[in-house]
Parts: sequence; C-alpha cells; structure tokens
Amino acid sequence: MARDLWEEIKLKYTALTASVLAGLMGTSALAQQICEDDVMVLAQPRDGLTLLEDYYDEFEELSGAGFQIDYLNENDRRAKSQADASTVGSFNVYYVDEANLPLFASSEWIVPLEGYYPEDYDYEDFDAGMRSVASYDGKQWFAPIQGGGDLMVYRTDLLEEAGIEPPQTWEDFKTAVAELHDPDNGVYGIALRGQRGSGANVWRWLPLFAAHGGEWVDDSGEFAFNSDAAVKATEEYLELFQYSAPGTQTGSFDESTGAFRSGKVALIIESAPLGAMSKDPSQSQVVDSVAFTPPPTPLPGSGYAHGFAIASRANETEEQKACAGLFVAWATSKEQEARRLAEGQPGELTRTSTYESPAYVETFGENLSAAMAATGDSTEVLFWQDPDWQELGNAWGIKLEELIIGSRTDIQGALDELSELANAM
Amino acid sequence: MKLGRSLPVVFLGPALIVLIILAAVPTLYAFNISLQNRTLSAPDADYVWFANYIALFGDARFLNALWVSLKWEVLTVSATMIVGIGLAIAMFEAATPRWRNVLTLLFIIPVLLPRVCAAFVWKFSFHPLYGAVTWPVRAITGETPDILASPLGAMLAVAFVDVWQWGPVFAVIILKLMEALPPQPLEAARIDRCKRWEIHVFITLPMLKLPLISLILVKAIESLRSFDLVYVMTRGGPGIATETLDMYAYSQGFIEAGKISYASGMAVVMLVLTVVMFTMIWKRLNR
Repeated sequence: MARDLWEEIKLKYTALTASVLAGLMGTSALAQQICEDDVMVLAQPRDGLTLLEDYYDEFEELSGAGFQIDYLNENDRRAKSQADASTVGSFNVYYVDEANLPLFASSEWIVPLEGYYPEDYDYEDFDAGMRSVASYDGKQWFAPIQGGGDLMVYRTDLLEEAGIEPPQTWEDFKTAVAELHDPDNGVYGIALRGQRGSGANVWRWLPLFAAHGGEWVDDSGEFAFNSDAAVKATEEYLELFQYSAPGTQTGSFDESTGAFRSGKVALIIESAPLGAMSKDPSQSQVVDSVAFTPPPTPLPGSGYAHGFAIASRANETEEQKACAGLFVAWATSKEQEARRLAEGQPGELTRTSTYESPAYVETFGENLSAAMAATGDSTEVLFWQDPDWQELGNAWGIKLEELIIGSRTDIQGALDELSELANAM
Repeated sequence: MKLGRSLPVVFLGPALIVLIILAAVPTLYAFNISLQNRTLSAPDADYVWFANYIALFGDARFLNALWVSLKWEVLTVSATMIVGIGLAIAMFEAATPRWRNVLTLLFIIPVLLPRVCAAFVWKFSFHPLYGAVTWPVRAITGETPDILASPLGAMLAVAFVDVWQWGPVFAVIILKLMEALPPQPLEAARIDRCKRWEIHVFITLPMLKLPLISLILVKAIESLRSFDLVYVMTRGGPGIATETLDMYAYSQGFIEAGKISYASGMAVVMLVLTVVMFTMIWKRLNR
C-alpha cells in the first residue's frame, strides 16, 4: 500500500516536473527578447503572484527585461488603476476584474489581447466561463488569474441519510433544501449571501434572475430592472433565506462558505473556489463527505474572473504592447499554473488542462475535477456589462439586504426604485 | 515694547504655518473638487459649482447618513461618558491605590488595540453560530440570535464596541482628574454627612465641568471618525441602517460610483456642520 502511494507520488511529480520543463523549453525557444524596460504591473495580492516573483529571472531571460508588481487591496487597486489609466498611465499591465472590465474596455484604457498574446500560450485552454467573463464587445481583454463559475456542493452523508438524490433541477434543489433543513440538529438547508453589494447578495441572486428569463434591457431598449422575472427571482431568493444558516443574512462568500465548511449546511451553490476549499483539511471539516456538480438546471453559473490586461497609455508602441502581452501570457501560463497547483494554491487555477490533469485529480479527487471541467459550460456573464453596473448593482444590493432582513417588504417597490435610478443614470 | 508685541507671532507663526499646510490646503482642495464633476473614471472635469450640494440635499441616502451620524454621535458620546464617569467613581470610591493602578493598566488596553482588529474580534463574537457573546443564548434557549442582522441591533453592537474601546480609557482620565481635586470640599461634605452620590453629583463632577466638556468634544470628534469600525462590522448595513456620513462618502467615492466630487461635497458639508455644531455646544456648555 505504502509502495503504491510512493509510486503515485513519484509519478505525479515526474509528470509535473516534465510538464514544467517542457513548457519552459518551449516558451523560451519561441520567445524573442522583446522588452526594453521592466514591465510595471498594478495588481492585488494573490498567492500565485507572490510565487510568480520567485521566477523573476525566468521572465528576464525570456523577455530581456524584468517586472515589478505593485500590490493594493481590491478597492484601492480599483481606484488607483482607474485614476492611473485615466491620467498618467504609469503601469504597463493592469489587474482587472469582471466588474471594471466594461469601464476599462469602453474607455480604451486597455487593448484587446489579440495580436499581443502569443499563440503558444494557448488562450483557448482557459476555462470557458472565465473566457466569457474576459470578453467584452466580442473581444478578449484579459488573461484570467483566478475566477470561475458556480458549483453545487453538497453533503453526501446528509443526502444519503435522508434518501435524497443530488438534485438535478432547480425545483428538486428547493425541495431538497427544505427537507434537509434541520436546525434543531444544527444543520441548515442552504447558505446564501445577504450582505449588500454587487459582488455579494446580488451575485447570488443573479442566476435566479437569469433562470427566470430576466434581461437588463427589454426589446424596446428600456431598462427592465423591475420586470416580472426580477420580482419572481427576488421572491424565491427571500423564500430560500428561511433555510439559510444564521449569520448569512448579513454575510457574503466568507460567511456562507464558512458555515458549509464547518458542517452546518447541507447544500450550497457557490463560486467555484469553494470546491477546492472544502477538500482542504485545513479549511474544511467536511472533507470526506462533500461532492460537486454544476448548478441544477436551468440555473446558470455566475461567471467571474480577475486577470491581467495590457494597458494602452503606458504602452504607446507596438513593441511595448507585445512586451506587456508576453508578460500577461507568461504570468498566466500552464507552467505557472502547474507551480501554483504544486504549491497548494487551488483558488488560482484557471485552465481546463489543469482541472483534467492527474495532479489535480490526485489532489482533489475525480469528482471535483469533472465538476470543474463541466461547470464552464453553464457559466455565463450574468451581471450588466456596463460601466454603471457597480453603482446600480450596489444600489440593488442595499435594497435586497433590506428585503432579506425584513426592514422593507415591497419587492416591486424596491425594483421600481432601482429602475428609476437606472433611468436617471 | 516692540519685542513684546512680536513675541506671540514668533511663537505662534511656525505652528500656524504647519497647521495651514496640513489642514487648510487639503480642505481647500476638497472644496475645490466638490465644485466640479470629477469622477475616477474620467481624466477631465468641469466646474458645476453648487450642483453637488443641491443634489446632496435631494439624496435620501445622504439624509439618512446625516441622521445615522447624529444618532451615532449622541449614542456613543453619551454612553462613553456615562461608562467613563461611572467606572471612575467606582474606582475612586472602592479601589485601593494598588488596584487603581492595576485597573488603569487594564482599562487602557482596549484603546491600544487597532480599531480594525477590535472590529473583527467583536464581529466574530456576535456571530449567531460561533460567537462568544451569543453563546449563552444558544446554550440556554437553542436560538441563534443574529444581532447584526437587525437595524437597531447592528447600531447598538457597533456602538458597544466603540464604547468598549473608549469608555475605560475615559474612566482612567476622569479618575486621575478626581484624584487631583483638592480634598477639602469633599472632607467638608463628608463632615456634613452628605451621601456618596451627593458628593459626586454636587461637588466632584461640577468641579470637573471644564475637563469633562473637553472630553465630550474629544469623543465627539473621535466618533465622527468611525469609518473603520462600521466598515468592518456592518459595511453600513443592514441596508443603510449604520451608514454614517464617512461610510457613505467612501462608498460614493471609491466602492460604488467613483464620484470623487460628490464625496468631497459630503466631506465639506460634514466639516461645516461639525464646526458649527461644536462651536455652539462649546459656547453653551462653557457658560
């Protein structure tokens, strides 16, 4: 038994080393030393980027120049990158996300990757969901560093005990949540997000809105935030909250996934990083009793992604753009991903080839590997891809939180107010 | 004579110059921005003069933030003073000098803790499933009270953390002030068989009127800078129940809309209201 395990470990690391070497040799041979100055990067802290800095010499050898990453937390990074991109343009590469991509792209602060992202780095290998999030106006704008769609994560022990099959449809899901809800024994049917915010409660509400056929703008071009679909989605969301774990009414991803990982929740639909987190013994008490599938139909996954984009103002010449493109490709390459996986950084994996790799299956199991590979097909961009989305999404987040905690009850009224705000904008 | 007249200028001059640079320049800059339509997403801006101010007073969320800030000020300042005076009197009456020293040390610890850390610790303590504060209720009734999910509960919980940090340190300051009072009036009152509460209500606290007014103003200014506490514990929620002016200004400036000019307008309104109100309070209390 121990010998088998040793053989497996040897196989895993031999394969990993081989893939890293092959990748490095391949990219080194193909690359030209096209950079004249160090690449300036503005990003937010990520374990994978810290790891990337260990391979500074590799990029220098590849490109002819080094790089410098300045880190700011999410809100500050957004503010600083907007201010920089709209004024002086001191960064060659910006860290952008799903929320500010429309603003950056429509303001022409970044350029599309096409023509600057070397083909050898295989952009099509990125998860389909993340690629769709990285697209705007029919073009690809950034290479993902992290992101994904949604997974349905469930407790196999609780479902088996209750004789319930993993739900395949939304109706079955709701029934299962109600049946498994047993607060007297410390188990809650589901964990949702109640905290206000376009990336918090609104993010979990979006799949319901889409499943009910909701559209941001109707056929006549008018805002449709107060449509029947929005009302129905909100009613269902509020209805489900009666089964949601305590603390989630004003909580977000951390609170809802925390409740699941501590064994208090039977079923949850959450962003894909929860998959690897719930299989990590240092973060989860339910490692041996979780399983994963894409969300039940017709619920789409709420796609999100963060990644590197090529700045336009700081890269005036084609050579500078190509240099920034090379950095973007190198930083998000298969080789870097293999390193992140080997370092145990599962939250920052973005490529289909990684999800299907033996190393991934070895670490997280076949079930999560299959679910991660499959979830891309159901992942969509569900939020309104517009520079005003942040303001509008956050305004809806406040109203939705008030509805969740019961300080207001008029769903239609809240949505009408939102529609008025949209029209005023 | 000439030297005597110029001496105050010599002493005050450098300090005033530093003050002007540190305080006046950013204030004037904020006022200038508030007259424009500057946003984070656009490099250029035009002067719209007082349009931001007119919009502010038609903004229900801004008016709510004003009301929340007023409630927050009254709640935290009064509770801090009550806790500070109460603890100081208790220490003055019941603690030996050695115990006073021990308690003084303990009472200073909360305020030394960074606000963000304190906010995270208490937020977790209020958690309905895992929190230490909610544990007795869970153990006795089996219920899972979610204090931060109700508008009143959230306001009281955040105010509690603020008072937890500042009440004890105010108690230490007031105790030291009481110890510095001349003992004769207190001895005379005791000879006249005054009760203990009468001594404090009619003698010690009136004697400490001026320093107590100063403490009230210091706390009022400190309470206005509650952003970190609110941001970590509630983010202004649930809904907008704990959204103070600084929290709303930050939301408009950075989180939601990037409306820097609009947020600067709020900061200017906050500044003007603070100066006017504090001047009025100071004059009234100082009569």
